[in-house]
Amino acid sequence: MIALPYSLVLAVKSLLKEKWINLLSVLTIASGLLIISIAVFGVVNITAATHQLPEKFSMIVYLDDSLQKKDIDGVINSLKKNNSVHSVKYISKEEALEEMKGLLKDSDYVFEGLDDNPLPDSLELKLREESVGPETVKKLARETLGIEGVREVDYGEKFLAMLHGVKAGLQTVGLVLIVMLSVGIVFVCYSTVKILFYRRTEEIETYKLLGATRSFIRLPFLIEGAFLGAAGGIISLLGILSFNYLVLLRLSLSMPLLRKILFPTDLFLLLPIAGLLLGITGAAIALGRIRY
Amino acid sequence: MIHFRNVTKDYDTQTALRDFTLSVEKGEMLFVTGPSGSGKTTMLKLIYSAERPDKGTIEIAGWETDGLRASSIPFLRRNIGVVFQDFRLLDNKNVFENIAIALRIRGIGEREVKGKVYETLKMVGLRHKADAYPRTLSGGEQQRVVVARAIIPDPTILLADEPTGNLDANSAEGIMRIFKNVNAKGTTVLVATHNKELFRNSGRRVVKLDMGNLVGVETA
Repeated sequence: MIALPYSLVLAVKSLLKEKWINLLSVLTIASGLLIISIAVFGVVNITAATHQLPEKFSMIVYLDDSLQKKDIDGVINSLKKNNSVHSVKYISKEEALEEMKGLLKDSDYVFEGLDDNPLPDSLELKLREESVGPETVKKLARETLGIEGVREVDYGEKFLAMLHGVKAGLQTVGLVLIVMLSVGIVFVCYSTVKILFYRRTEEIETYKLLGATRSFIRLPFLIEGAFLGAAGGIISLLGILSFNYLVLLRLSLSMPLLRKILFPTDLFLLLPIAGLLLGITGAAIALGRIRY
Repeated sequence: MIHFRNVTKDYDTQTALRDFTLSVEKGEMLFVTGPSGSGKTTMLKLIYSAERPDKGTIEIAGWETDGLRASSIPFLRRNIGVVFQDFRLLDNKNVFENIAIALRIRGIGEREVKGKVYETLKMVGLRHKADAYPRTLSGGEQQRVVVARAIIPDPTILLADEPTGNLDANSAEGIMRIFKNVNAKGTTVLVATHNKELFRNSGRRVVKLDMGNLVGVETA
Protein backbone atom coordinates (compact mmCIF):
# COMPACT_ATOMS: atom_id res chain seq x y z
CA MET A 1 0.00 0.00 0.00
CA ILE A 2 1.29 3.48 -0.78
CA ALA A 3 1.08 6.20 1.84
CA LEU A 4 0.34 9.21 -0.38
CA PRO A 5 0.57 11.86 2.35
CA TYR A 6 4.05 10.69 3.38
CA SER A 7 5.19 10.71 -0.24
CA LEU A 8 3.81 14.22 -0.42
CA VAL A 9 5.77 15.19 2.70
CA LEU A 10 8.98 13.75 1.17
CA ALA A 11 8.32 15.61 -2.10
CA VAL A 12 7.63 18.93 -0.38
CA LYS A 13 10.73 18.58 1.82
CA SER A 14 12.88 17.82 -1.22
CA LEU A 15 11.38 20.74 -3.16
CA LEU A 16 12.21 23.10 -0.30
CA LYS A 17 15.65 21.62 0.36
CA GLU A 18 16.69 21.93 -3.28
CA LYS A 19 14.79 25.18 -3.78
CA TRP A 20 17.26 26.89 -6.12
CA ILE A 21 17.60 24.08 -8.62
CA ASN A 22 13.83 23.62 -8.50
CA LEU A 23 13.18 27.33 -8.98
CA LEU A 24 15.51 27.39 -11.96
CA SER A 25 13.70 24.40 -13.46
CA VAL A 26 10.28 25.98 -12.89
CA LEU A 27 11.39 29.21 -14.61
CA THR A 28 12.89 27.27 -17.53
CA ILE A 29 9.68 25.26 -17.92
CA ALA A 30 7.62 28.46 -17.66
CA SER A 31 9.71 30.09 -20.41
CA GLY A 32 9.28 27.06 -22.66
CA LEU A 33 5.53 26.94 -22.09
CA LEU A 34 5.28 30.70 -22.67
CA ILE A 35 6.99 30.35 -26.06
CA ILE A 36 4.65 27.43 -26.84
CA SER A 37 1.70 29.66 -25.88
CA ILE A 38 2.91 32.39 -28.21
CA ALA A 39 3.31 29.82 -31.01
CA VAL A 40 -0.23 28.52 -30.34
CA PHE A 41 -1.47 32.12 -30.30
CA GLY A 42 0.12 32.72 -33.71
CA VAL A 43 -1.18 29.47 -35.24
CA VAL A 44 -4.72 30.09 -33.95
CA ASN A 45 -4.81 33.59 -35.43
CA ILE A 46 -3.32 32.55 -38.77
CA THR A 47 -5.81 29.69 -39.02
CA ALA A 48 -8.68 32.03 -38.14
CA ALA A 49 -7.51 34.62 -40.67
CA THR A 50 -7.32 32.05 -43.47
CA HIS A 51 -10.73 30.67 -42.53
CA GLN A 52 -12.19 34.09 -43.22
CA LEU A 53 -10.62 34.04 -46.67
CA PRO A 54 -13.52 32.31 -48.51
CA GLU A 55 -15.85 35.15 -47.47
CA LYS A 56 -13.48 37.76 -48.87
CA PHE A 57 -12.20 35.85 -51.85
CA SER A 58 -13.71 36.49 -55.26
CA MET A 59 -12.81 35.73 -58.85
CA ILE A 60 -13.50 38.28 -61.56
CA VAL A 61 -14.43 36.97 -64.99
CA TYR A 62 -14.12 39.59 -67.78
CA LEU A 63 -16.48 39.11 -70.72
CA ASP A 64 -16.13 39.90 -74.41
CA ASP A 65 -17.66 43.25 -75.43
CA SER A 66 -19.69 41.62 -78.19
CA LEU A 67 -21.84 39.48 -75.85
CA GLN A 68 -25.60 39.88 -75.82
CA LYS A 69 -27.80 39.48 -72.74
CA LYS A 70 -28.64 35.84 -73.57
CA ASP A 71 -24.94 35.03 -74.13
CA ILE A 72 -24.09 36.52 -70.73
CA ASP A 73 -26.90 34.45 -69.14
CA GLY A 74 -25.40 31.39 -70.85
CA VAL A 75 -21.98 32.10 -69.30
CA ILE A 76 -23.61 32.65 -65.88
CA ASN A 77 -25.51 29.34 -66.13
CA SER A 78 -22.35 27.48 -67.16
CA LEU A 79 -20.51 28.90 -64.15
CA LYS A 80 -23.35 28.14 -61.73
CA LYS A 81 -23.18 24.49 -62.77
CA ASN A 82 -19.60 24.30 -61.48
CA ASN A 83 -19.45 22.72 -57.99
CA SER A 84 -16.79 25.17 -56.80
CA VAL A 85 -18.95 28.21 -57.47
CA HIS A 86 -21.14 29.52 -54.69
CA SER A 87 -22.63 32.60 -56.39
CA VAL A 88 -22.27 34.66 -59.55
CA LYS A 89 -22.87 38.41 -59.68
CA TYR A 90 -23.09 40.30 -62.96
CA ILE A 91 -21.34 43.69 -63.06
CA SER A 92 -22.04 45.74 -66.15
CA LYS A 93 -19.30 47.91 -67.64
CA GLU A 94 -21.25 51.00 -66.47
CA GLU A 95 -21.40 49.74 -62.87
CA ALA A 96 -17.70 48.91 -63.05
CA LEU A 97 -16.86 52.43 -64.20
CA GLU A 98 -18.98 53.96 -61.43
CA GLU A 99 -17.27 51.78 -58.89
CA MET A 100 -13.87 52.75 -60.19
CA LYS A 101 -14.79 56.43 -60.12
CA GLY A 102 -15.86 55.98 -56.53
CA LEU A 103 -12.54 54.38 -55.67
CA LEU A 104 -10.49 57.01 -57.50
CA LYS A 105 -12.54 60.06 -56.59
CA ASP A 106 -9.42 61.92 -55.45
CA SER A 107 -7.70 61.21 -58.77
CA ASP A 108 -10.53 61.94 -61.18
CA TYR A 109 -8.08 63.37 -63.74
CA VAL A 110 -7.56 59.74 -64.74
CA PHE A 111 -10.96 59.78 -66.38
CA GLU A 112 -10.48 63.12 -68.25
CA GLY A 113 -10.65 62.73 -72.01
CA LEU A 114 -12.35 59.35 -71.84
CA ASP A 115 -15.14 59.27 -74.36
CA ASP A 116 -15.87 55.59 -74.24
CA ASN A 117 -16.06 53.29 -71.24
CA PRO A 118 -12.93 51.09 -71.61
CA LEU A 119 -14.05 48.59 -68.98
CA PRO A 120 -15.62 45.29 -69.96
CA ASP A 121 -18.72 43.62 -68.53
CA SER A 122 -17.69 41.20 -65.80
CA LEU A 123 -18.88 38.50 -63.41
CA GLU A 124 -17.90 38.33 -59.76
CA LEU A 125 -17.68 34.71 -58.55
CA LYS A 126 -17.84 33.77 -54.90
CA LEU A 127 -16.52 30.28 -54.23
CA ARG A 128 -17.56 27.59 -51.80
CA GLU A 129 -15.41 27.58 -48.64
CA GLU A 130 -13.72 24.25 -49.41
CA SER A 131 -12.84 25.40 -52.94
CA VAL A 132 -10.71 28.37 -51.93
CA GLY A 133 -7.28 26.87 -52.48
CA PRO A 134 -4.54 27.50 -55.04
CA GLU A 135 -5.14 24.28 -56.99
CA THR A 136 -8.97 24.33 -57.16
CA VAL A 137 -9.04 28.04 -58.02
CA LYS A 138 -6.48 27.50 -60.77
CA LYS A 139 -8.58 24.64 -62.20
CA LEU A 140 -11.74 26.74 -62.05
CA ALA A 141 -9.96 29.61 -63.82
CA ARG A 142 -8.84 27.22 -66.56
CA GLU A 143 -12.37 25.86 -67.01
CA THR A 144 -13.85 29.37 -66.99
CA LEU A 145 -11.45 30.55 -69.68
CA GLY A 146 -12.74 27.68 -71.83
CA ILE A 147 -16.28 29.09 -71.81
CA GLU A 148 -17.13 30.97 -74.96
CA GLY A 149 -17.41 34.73 -74.38
CA VAL A 150 -14.93 34.84 -71.47
CA ARG A 151 -12.02 37.12 -72.21
CA GLU A 152 -9.97 36.99 -69.01
CA VAL A 153 -10.04 35.69 -65.45
CA ASP A 154 -8.47 37.52 -62.53
CA TYR A 155 -8.19 36.03 -59.05
CA GLY A 156 -4.86 37.10 -57.53
CA GLU A 157 -3.19 33.78 -58.20
CA LYS A 158 0.15 34.68 -56.69
CA PHE A 159 -1.39 36.24 -53.59
CA LEU A 160 -3.55 33.19 -52.95
CA ALA A 161 -0.62 30.80 -53.39
CA MET A 162 1.57 32.94 -51.15
CA LEU A 163 -1.11 33.18 -48.47
CA HIS A 164 -1.59 29.42 -48.39
CA GLY A 165 2.17 28.90 -48.43
CA VAL A 166 2.61 31.27 -45.51
CA LYS A 167 -0.24 29.59 -43.61
CA ALA A 168 1.19 26.10 -44.13
CA GLY A 169 4.71 27.31 -43.33
CA LEU A 170 3.74 29.09 -40.13
CA GLN A 171 1.62 26.15 -38.99
CA THR A 172 4.55 23.81 -39.58
CA VAL A 173 6.96 26.12 -37.77
CA GLY A 174 4.47 26.46 -34.90
CA LEU A 175 4.01 22.70 -34.67
CA VAL A 176 7.77 22.01 -34.78
CA LEU A 177 8.31 24.67 -32.11
CA ILE A 178 5.61 23.15 -29.89
CA VAL A 179 7.05 19.63 -30.25
CA MET A 180 10.66 20.75 -29.72
CA LEU A 181 9.86 22.84 -26.66
CA SER A 182 7.69 20.06 -25.20
CA VAL A 183 10.63 17.68 -25.55
CA GLY A 184 12.82 20.39 -23.98
CA ILE A 185 10.47 20.71 -21.00
CA VAL A 186 10.43 16.93 -20.53
CA PHE A 187 14.24 17.03 -20.61
CA VAL A 188 14.39 19.80 -17.98
CA CYS A 189 12.14 17.76 -15.67
CA TYR A 190 14.15 14.63 -16.47
CA SER A 191 17.45 16.34 -15.58
CA THR A 192 16.14 17.91 -12.40
CA VAL A 193 14.57 14.70 -11.09
CA LYS A 194 17.68 12.73 -12.11
CA ILE A 195 19.87 15.10 -10.07
CA LEU A 196 17.52 14.91 -7.07
CA PHE A 197 17.44 11.10 -7.42
CA TYR A 198 21.24 10.83 -7.49
CA ARG A 199 21.55 13.09 -4.47
CA ARG A 200 19.35 10.68 -2.54
CA THR A 201 20.85 7.43 -3.81
CA GLU A 202 22.02 6.31 -0.35
CA GLU A 203 18.64 7.07 1.18
CA ILE A 204 16.84 5.19 -1.58
CA GLU A 205 19.14 2.17 -1.19
CA THR A 206 18.27 2.08 2.51
CA TYR A 207 14.55 2.30 1.73
CA LYS A 208 14.92 -0.64 -0.66
CA LEU A 209 16.73 -2.73 1.96
CA LEU A 210 13.99 -1.96 4.47
CA GLY A 211 11.31 -3.27 2.09
CA ALA A 212 10.14 -0.18 0.18
CA THR A 213 8.30 -0.92 -3.06
CA ARG A 214 9.08 0.79 -6.36
CA SER A 215 5.92 2.87 -6.02
CA PHE A 216 6.98 4.12 -2.59
CA ILE A 217 10.36 5.20 -4.01
CA ARG A 218 8.97 6.66 -7.21
CA LEU A 219 5.97 8.57 -5.91
CA PRO A 220 7.80 11.51 -4.25
CA PHE A 221 9.85 12.08 -7.42
CA LEU A 222 6.76 11.90 -9.64
CA ILE A 223 5.08 14.43 -7.35
CA GLU A 224 8.16 16.67 -7.64
CA GLY A 225 8.12 16.38 -11.44
CA ALA A 226 4.39 17.12 -11.50
CA PHE A 227 4.90 20.13 -9.24
CA LEU A 228 7.75 21.53 -11.36
CA GLY A 229 5.69 21.16 -14.54
CA ALA A 230 2.46 22.52 -13.05
CA ALA A 231 4.25 25.48 -11.42
CA GLY A 232 5.91 26.26 -14.76
CA GLY A 233 2.48 26.00 -16.39
CA ILE A 234 0.88 28.39 -13.90
CA ILE A 235 3.66 30.97 -14.34
CA SER A 236 3.42 30.74 -18.14
CA LEU A 237 -0.38 31.11 -17.87
CA LEU A 238 0.09 34.26 -15.81
CA GLY A 239 2.60 35.46 -18.41
CA ILE A 240 0.32 34.96 -21.39
CA LEU A 241 -2.68 36.46 -19.53
CA SER A 242 -0.54 39.49 -18.66
CA PHE A 243 0.44 39.77 -22.33
CA ASN A 244 -3.25 39.75 -23.26
CA TYR A 245 -4.19 42.32 -20.64
CA LEU A 246 -1.18 44.63 -20.84
CA VAL A 247 -0.51 44.49 -24.58
CA LEU A 248 -3.50 43.31 -26.62
CA LEU A 249 -6.40 44.77 -24.61
CA ARG A 250 -4.67 48.08 -23.86
CA LEU A 251 -3.37 48.60 -27.36
CA SER A 252 -6.72 47.68 -28.88
CA LEU A 253 -8.19 50.80 -27.23
CA SER A 254 -6.07 52.95 -29.53
CA MET A 255 -5.71 50.40 -32.37
CA PRO A 256 -9.15 48.91 -33.11
CA LEU A 257 -7.55 46.50 -35.62
CA LEU A 258 -6.11 44.55 -32.67
CA ARG A 259 -9.66 43.69 -31.54
CA LYS A 260 -9.80 41.22 -34.42
CA ILE A 261 -6.94 39.22 -32.88
CA LEU A 262 -8.15 36.04 -31.15
CA PHE A 263 -6.92 35.17 -27.67
CA PRO A 264 -7.76 31.50 -26.97
CA THR A 265 -8.12 31.74 -23.17
CA ASP A 266 -9.71 28.27 -22.91
CA LEU A 267 -6.68 26.75 -24.56
CA PHE A 268 -4.25 28.61 -22.31
CA LEU A 269 -6.09 27.50 -19.18
CA LEU A 270 -4.76 24.02 -20.01
CA LEU A 271 -1.14 25.19 -19.56
CA PRO A 272 -0.80 24.00 -15.92
CA ILE A 273 -2.20 20.58 -16.92
CA ALA A 274 0.15 20.40 -19.92
CA GLY A 275 3.06 21.33 -17.62
CA LEU A 276 1.98 18.74 -15.08
CA LEU A 277 1.83 15.96 -17.67
CA LEU A 278 5.19 16.94 -19.18
CA GLY A 279 6.69 17.07 -15.66
CA ILE A 280 5.42 13.61 -14.77
CA THR A 281 6.70 12.26 -18.10
CA GLY A 282 10.18 13.72 -17.48
CA ALA A 283 10.25 12.35 -13.92
CA ALA A 284 9.07 8.89 -15.02
CA ILE A 285 11.80 8.71 -17.67
CA ALA A 286 14.42 9.89 -15.15
CA LEU A 287 13.47 7.21 -12.62
CA GLY A 288 13.52 4.45 -15.21
CA ARG A 289 13.48 0.91 -13.85
CA ILE A 290 14.33 0.70 -10.17
CA ARG A 291 16.36 -2.43 -9.53
CA TYR A 292 16.63 -4.53 -6.41
CA MET B 1 12.14 -20.69 8.75
CA ILE B 2 15.46 -20.34 6.85
CA HIS B 3 16.85 -23.08 4.61
CA PHE B 4 20.09 -22.91 2.65
CA ARG B 5 20.52 -25.85 0.29
CA ASN B 6 23.96 -26.31 -1.31
CA VAL B 7 24.37 -22.57 -1.77
CA THR B 8 27.46 -21.15 -3.47
CA LYS B 9 28.13 -17.46 -3.94
CA ASP B 10 31.14 -16.14 -5.84
CA TYR B 11 32.50 -12.59 -6.09
CA ASP B 12 34.75 -12.33 -9.14
CA THR B 13 37.66 -14.61 -8.21
CA GLN B 14 36.72 -15.17 -4.56
CA THR B 15 34.14 -17.65 -3.27
CA ALA B 16 32.21 -16.06 -0.40
CA LEU B 17 30.10 -19.12 0.41
CA ARG B 18 30.71 -22.65 -0.87
CA ASP B 19 28.14 -25.46 -1.05
CA PHE B 20 26.52 -24.16 2.12
CA THR B 21 23.62 -26.07 3.66
CA LEU B 22 21.88 -24.97 6.86
CA SER B 23 18.39 -24.84 8.37
CA VAL B 24 17.29 -22.41 11.05
CA GLU B 25 14.11 -23.22 12.93
CA LYS B 26 11.31 -20.77 13.68
CA GLY B 27 11.96 -18.93 16.94
CA GLU B 28 15.62 -20.00 17.11
CA MET B 29 18.42 -17.64 18.07
CA LEU B 30 21.52 -18.54 16.11
CA PHE B 31 25.02 -17.13 16.04
CA VAL B 32 27.21 -17.13 12.94
CA THR B 33 30.88 -16.66 13.63
CA GLY B 34 34.16 -16.66 11.80
CA PRO B 35 37.02 -14.31 10.88
CA SER B 36 36.64 -11.36 8.52
CA GLY B 37 35.92 -12.56 4.98
CA SER B 38 34.56 -15.91 6.18
CA GLY B 39 31.16 -15.30 4.51
CA LYS B 40 29.02 -14.12 7.47
CA THR B 41 27.79 -10.93 5.81
CA THR B 42 27.23 -12.72 2.49
CA MET B 43 25.08 -15.29 4.28
CA LEU B 44 22.90 -12.52 5.76
CA LYS B 45 22.72 -10.66 2.42
CA LEU B 46 21.51 -13.83 0.75
CA ILE B 47 18.70 -14.03 3.31
CA TYR B 48 17.37 -10.52 2.58
CA SER B 49 18.04 -10.91 -1.15
CA ALA B 50 20.65 -8.18 -1.41
CA GLU B 51 22.65 -10.94 -3.12
CA ARG B 52 21.49 -13.90 -5.21
CA PRO B 53 23.14 -17.35 -4.98
CA ASP B 54 25.15 -18.60 -7.96
CA LYS B 55 24.20 -22.18 -7.09
CA GLY B 56 21.73 -23.81 -4.75
CA THR B 57 18.42 -22.63 -3.33
CA ILE B 58 17.32 -20.58 -0.33
CA GLU B 59 13.94 -20.61 1.35
CA ILE B 60 13.05 -17.76 3.69
CA ALA B 61 9.80 -17.71 5.68
CA GLY B 62 8.12 -19.76 2.96
CA TRP B 63 9.58 -17.69 0.08
CA GLU B 64 11.79 -19.51 -2.43
CA THR B 65 14.35 -16.88 -3.42
CA ASP B 66 15.28 -18.83 -6.55
CA GLY B 67 13.42 -17.14 -9.39
CA LEU B 68 11.91 -14.59 -7.01
CA ARG B 69 10.60 -11.64 -9.04
CA ALA B 70 12.17 -8.26 -8.30
CA SER B 71 8.76 -6.84 -7.48
CA SER B 72 8.36 -9.49 -4.71
CA ILE B 73 11.65 -8.67 -2.99
CA PRO B 74 10.23 -5.74 -0.94
CA PHE B 75 7.54 -8.05 0.42
CA LEU B 76 10.12 -10.69 1.35
CA ARG B 77 12.20 -8.01 3.09
CA ARG B 78 9.20 -6.88 5.11
CA ASN B 79 9.48 -10.19 7.01
CA ILE B 80 13.06 -9.38 7.93
CA GLY B 81 14.54 -6.76 10.24
CA VAL B 82 18.20 -6.02 9.56
CA VAL B 83 20.81 -4.46 11.85
CA PHE B 84 23.34 -3.42 9.23
CA GLN B 85 27.04 -3.46 9.98
CA ASP B 86 27.39 0.06 8.55
CA PHE B 87 24.16 1.20 10.31
CA ARG B 88 22.62 2.80 7.19
CA LEU B 89 21.10 5.62 9.20
CA LEU B 90 19.80 8.63 7.27
CA ASP B 91 21.82 11.67 8.32
CA ASN B 92 19.18 14.15 7.17
CA LYS B 93 16.50 12.61 9.39
CA ASN B 94 16.26 12.61 13.15
CA VAL B 95 16.06 9.49 15.30
CA PHE B 96 12.25 9.45 15.23
CA GLU B 97 12.15 9.68 11.43
CA ASN B 98 14.89 7.07 11.00
CA ILE B 99 12.86 4.55 12.95
CA ALA B 100 9.47 5.59 11.60
CA ILE B 101 10.54 4.96 8.01
CA ALA B 102 10.43 1.19 8.61
CA LEU B 103 6.69 1.55 9.31
CA ARG B 104 5.96 4.20 6.68
CA ILE B 105 7.24 2.06 3.82
CA ARG B 106 4.63 -0.48 4.96
CA GLY B 107 1.92 2.17 4.61
CA ILE B 108 1.13 2.33 8.33
CA GLY B 109 -0.86 5.38 9.45
CA GLU B 110 0.75 8.31 11.24
CA ARG B 111 -1.01 7.78 14.56
CA GLU B 112 0.18 4.18 14.83
CA VAL B 113 3.66 5.19 13.64
CA LYS B 114 3.95 7.77 16.40
CA GLY B 115 2.82 5.39 19.12
CA LYS B 116 5.05 2.51 18.03
CA VAL B 117 8.15 4.66 17.50
CA TYR B 118 7.97 6.15 21.01
CA GLU B 119 7.29 2.71 22.48
CA THR B 120 10.32 1.24 20.69
CA LEU B 121 12.51 4.21 21.58
CA LYS B 122 11.64 3.59 25.20
CA MET B 123 12.51 -0.10 24.80
CA VAL B 124 16.01 0.77 23.52
CA GLY B 125 16.45 3.58 26.08
CA LEU B 126 16.49 6.45 23.59
CA ARG B 127 13.13 8.15 24.27
CA HIS B 128 14.96 11.40 25.08
CA LYS B 129 16.88 11.31 21.79
CA ALA B 130 13.87 11.27 19.46
CA ASP B 131 14.70 14.66 17.94
CA ALA B 132 18.46 14.15 17.76
CA TYR B 133 20.26 13.57 14.47
CA PRO B 134 22.44 10.45 14.00
CA ARG B 135 25.66 12.47 13.74
CA THR B 136 25.16 13.82 17.27
CA LEU B 137 24.80 10.32 18.79
CA SER B 138 27.49 8.02 20.19
CA GLY B 139 28.28 4.72 18.43
CA GLY B 140 26.24 2.78 20.99
CA GLU B 141 23.26 5.10 20.61
CA GLN B 142 23.42 4.87 16.82
CA GLN B 143 23.50 1.08 17.12
CA ARG B 144 20.38 1.14 19.30
CA VAL B 145 18.59 3.33 16.74
CA VAL B 146 19.42 0.74 14.07
CA VAL B 147 18.13 -2.02 16.34
CA ALA B 148 14.94 -0.06 17.00
CA ARG B 149 14.40 0.39 13.25
CA ALA B 150 14.93 -3.33 12.68
CA ILE B 151 12.54 -4.56 15.38
CA ILE B 152 9.76 -1.97 15.14
CA PRO B 153 7.74 -3.76 12.41
CA ASP B 154 7.76 -6.99 14.48
CA PRO B 155 9.67 -8.97 11.82
CA THR B 156 9.55 -12.75 11.57
CA ILE B 157 13.33 -12.81 11.23
CA LEU B 158 15.90 -10.45 12.75
CA LEU B 159 19.39 -10.33 11.23
CA ALA B 160 22.26 -8.56 12.98
CA ASP B 161 25.62 -8.09 11.29
CA GLU B 162 28.36 -7.42 13.86
CA PRO B 163 25.87 -5.58 16.08
CA THR B 164 28.39 -4.92 18.83
CA GLY B 165 31.41 -4.25 16.63
CA ASN B 166 32.61 -1.01 18.21
CA LEU B 167 30.66 -1.06 21.44
CA ASP B 168 31.86 -1.30 24.99
CA ALA B 169 30.85 -4.32 27.07
CA ASN B 170 27.86 -2.59 28.69
CA SER B 171 26.43 -1.36 25.43
CA ALA B 172 26.97 -4.76 23.82
CA GLU B 173 25.16 -6.41 26.70
CA GLY B 174 22.26 -3.99 26.31
CA ILE B 175 21.96 -4.79 22.60
CA MET B 176 22.06 -8.54 23.27
CA ARG B 177 19.36 -8.15 25.92
CA ILE B 178 17.08 -6.55 23.33
CA PHE B 179 17.75 -9.40 20.89
CA LYS B 180 16.90 -11.98 23.55
CA ASN B 181 13.65 -10.19 24.34
CA VAL B 182 12.72 -10.06 20.68
CA ASN B 183 13.60 -13.74 20.31
CA ALA B 184 11.51 -14.57 23.38
CA LYS B 185 8.48 -13.17 21.55
CA GLY B 186 9.01 -15.72 18.73
CA THR B 187 11.22 -13.87 16.27
CA THR B 188 13.98 -15.93 14.67
CA VAL B 189 17.27 -14.13 15.36
CA LEU B 190 20.57 -14.53 13.49
CA VAL B 191 23.59 -12.71 14.86
CA ALA B 192 26.78 -12.63 12.80
CA THR B 193 29.73 -11.80 15.00
CA HIS B 194 33.37 -12.54 15.56
CA ASN B 195 32.95 -11.68 19.27
CA LYS B 196 32.84 -15.03 21.05
CA GLU B 197 31.75 -13.36 24.31
CA LEU B 198 28.32 -12.76 22.83
CA PHE B 199 27.44 -16.45 22.63
CA ARG B 200 29.69 -18.04 25.27
CA ASN B 201 27.60 -20.29 27.50
CA SER B 202 24.42 -19.05 25.82
CA GLY B 203 23.17 -22.53 25.01
CA ARG B 204 22.48 -21.38 21.45
CA ARG B 205 23.63 -22.97 18.19
CA VAL B 206 26.76 -21.42 16.71
CA VAL B 207 27.59 -21.77 13.01
CA LYS B 208 31.29 -21.49 12.24
CA LEU B 209 32.41 -20.25 8.83
CA ASP B 210 35.89 -19.96 7.36
CA MET B 211 36.80 -18.84 3.84
CA GLY B 212 33.20 -19.46 2.75
CA ASN B 213 33.11 -23.00 4.12
CA LEU B 214 30.89 -24.27 6.89
CA VAL B 215 33.43 -25.67 9.35
CA GLY B 216 31.10 -26.58 12.18
CA VAL B 217 27.82 -26.17 14.00
CA GLU B 218 27.90 -26.50 17.77
CA THR B 219 25.94 -25.47 20.82
CA ALA B 220 27.68 -22.87 22.96
